[in-house]
Amino acid sequence: MVNNLIEISDLYKIYPISEEISVHALQGVSLSIKRGEFVSIMGASGSGKSTFMNILGFLDTPTTGRYVLDGIDGSTLNYDEKAEIRNRKIGFVFQGFNLLSRTSAIENVELPLLYMGGITTREMKDKARKYLGMIGLAGREHHHPSELSGGEQQRVAIARALVNEPAIIFADEPTGNLDTKNTEDIMNLFTSLNHDLGITIILVTHEPEVAEYTRRKVIFRDGHIIEDSPVKKRKKAGMKKR
Amino acid sequence: MNFKNLFVTALRALNRNKMRSALTSIGIIIGVSSVIMMIGIGNSARIAVREKIFTYGANAMSVYDSKKPLTLRDVENIDRLLPQIRYISPFVYKSYILTKGGGQFIYSRLYGVNNDFFKIKSWPLMNGRYFTEREIAASEKVVIIGNSVRTELFGYTNPVGEVLNVDGLPFKIVGLLTEMGQALSGRDFDNVLIVPHTTAAMKIMGKRTFDEIYVSTYSETEIDETVDKLKEYFRRTHAIPPGKINDFKIKTSKEKLQMVKYISNTLSILLAGIASISLFVGGVGIMNIMLVSVSERTREIGIRMAIGAKKRDILTQFLIESVTLSGAGGIVGMLLGLGVYYLIIFFVDWPFIFSFFSIIVAFFFSCAVGIFFGYYPARKAADLKPIEALRYE
Repeated sequence: MVNNLIEISDLYKIYPISEEISVHALQGVSLSIKRGEFVSIMGASGSGKSTFMNILGFLDTPTTGRYVLDGIDGSTLNYDEKAEIRNRKIGFVFQGFNLLSRTSAIENVELPLLYMGGITTREMKDKARKYLGMIGLAGREHHHPSELSGGEQQRVAIARALVNEPAIIFADEPTGNLDTKNTEDIMNLFTSLNHDLGITIILVTHEPEVAEYTRRKVIFRDGHIIEDSPVKKRKKAGMKKR
Repeated sequence: MNFKNLFVTALRALNRNKMRSALTSIGIIIGVSSVIMMIGIGNSARIAVREKIFTYGANAMSVYDSKKPLTLRDVENIDRLLPQIRYISPFVYKSYILTKGGGQFIYSRLYGVNNDFFKIKSWPLMNGRYFTEREIAASEKVVIIGNSVRTELFGYTNPVGEVLNVDGLPFKIVGLLTEMGQALSGRDFDNVLIVPHTTAAMKIMGKRTFDEIYVSTYSETEIDETVDKLKEYFRRTHAIPPGKINDFKIKTSKEKLQMVKYISNTLSILLAGIASISLFVGGVGIMNIMLVSVSERTREIGIRMAIGAKKRDILTQFLIESVTLSGAGGIVGMLLGLGVYYLIIFFVDWPFIFSFFSIIVAFFFSCAVGIFFGYYPARKAADLKPIEALRYE
């Protein structure tokens, strides 16, 4: 029985710049995350938090160290196997939304299912529609990203992250491009996804207010974790009326 | 990701850049249409020339260039010995004969033949009649004229019954040949006077021997056998010992056909070769646009990879895009090529030959161009690293 969804021990990431100089982005990071947790990762830019997230999301490989996601050891996987893990177990939400332009909301949400296989076009549409409805964009399925507000675009991105029913969602500065109102909405949405659906969420942010929505705060500095603590005065989802 | 989804994805991508997609395909359209057109015109030319050669005579052959004289006895013997022979005619000719009539004159070729000659050559009459047995037997001065002789001397009136002065002798015109047109060499088939071989021998040439003997068989399959039999006959009568070469020659319409076929094939290959250069240029155009497209869509590729596209998915998607461009270009080019080909054929009055084979080849070739020139850009897309592609601005 795997208790921890994520198990990281002694992770290093070193970028060689030249023969003498190299950048040590991560220097021996260890961390465990259980199922159902809602974790924020904080740190100044250059602290290693983005590198860390990329490795967690199987978008990058550590130089050394062990990373196990849901019982799967990342070091044993080849490129395509990692793509498959990303497809089946992980949902991504990015700062810049990263939706396909000139592509309707529903087509954007369907995208992970396209690469999944063994699913009919009808099922794809149904699922995409279901998740668009869940994040509150029912009726706007055929709008293109350019016709949606920033907050709405991020919702589409969240629906896309949810559609493959992942074990975990990685959100990299999801509110970085949003105003206060939309930030609150998106964070409330994350909170309820975590609380109501039990989805594990790891969120990178540099805004302390955003981190306060989460239940656990991990702070990076210079490639090390310098703090790992529960969030005390937590903002509650749904406290503010939308 | 299954093929259908990849295909839909690729089509959507192309649809987003309609104008660019159309322009990119133009290279292939021009390439394929010119290949189709060239091959079509080549085929039609071959048939057109083939029909001309059949005016030389279907299943026809002739014995000529004999060192020993060809005589009426030879004609009679061959006719008796070879049952597969349908028509046989002696043939004498003289060129540059001064011909006067209707106050005009013309220099023509004169043939001395029997009535079978018209059957061998498939030369029908437009007006009048063939020779009578009596006219041939009595070496009468009667003539059947070609259309050019008529138009030069009598204009467009019916010349049958008129008198023609041939080499100083008065001849009665009994028939007019249907117009045949020009040979590829430019020689005018219609500038011809045809008289009974007896008349030619007695009144004009002053000799009883023939220049050639024309023969035709019932069917094409009998040509080779007949040629062999004729060789056998003449070697025997000319008393040629075994091992010595023939002192006569035999030409058949088949040989001419083969030559024409060879020439037109060579021409077709040459033209198709030139046309395929434009296919190559079209392919380079596709590669160029696909490279632009890959770098433009780096971020899209990054997104697709992040959410689970495998290398193969990206590779296939871009390959499908380039093959769709070239394949669609191929289909449009095919239709355009056929259309232009049909138009050209219509105006020069050649037969339309629908070559299914060349269409299939052109289509698959254009798809192959898409794969060949699309592979490098697609590979480049598939080899992108997800994080770098995602960060790309």
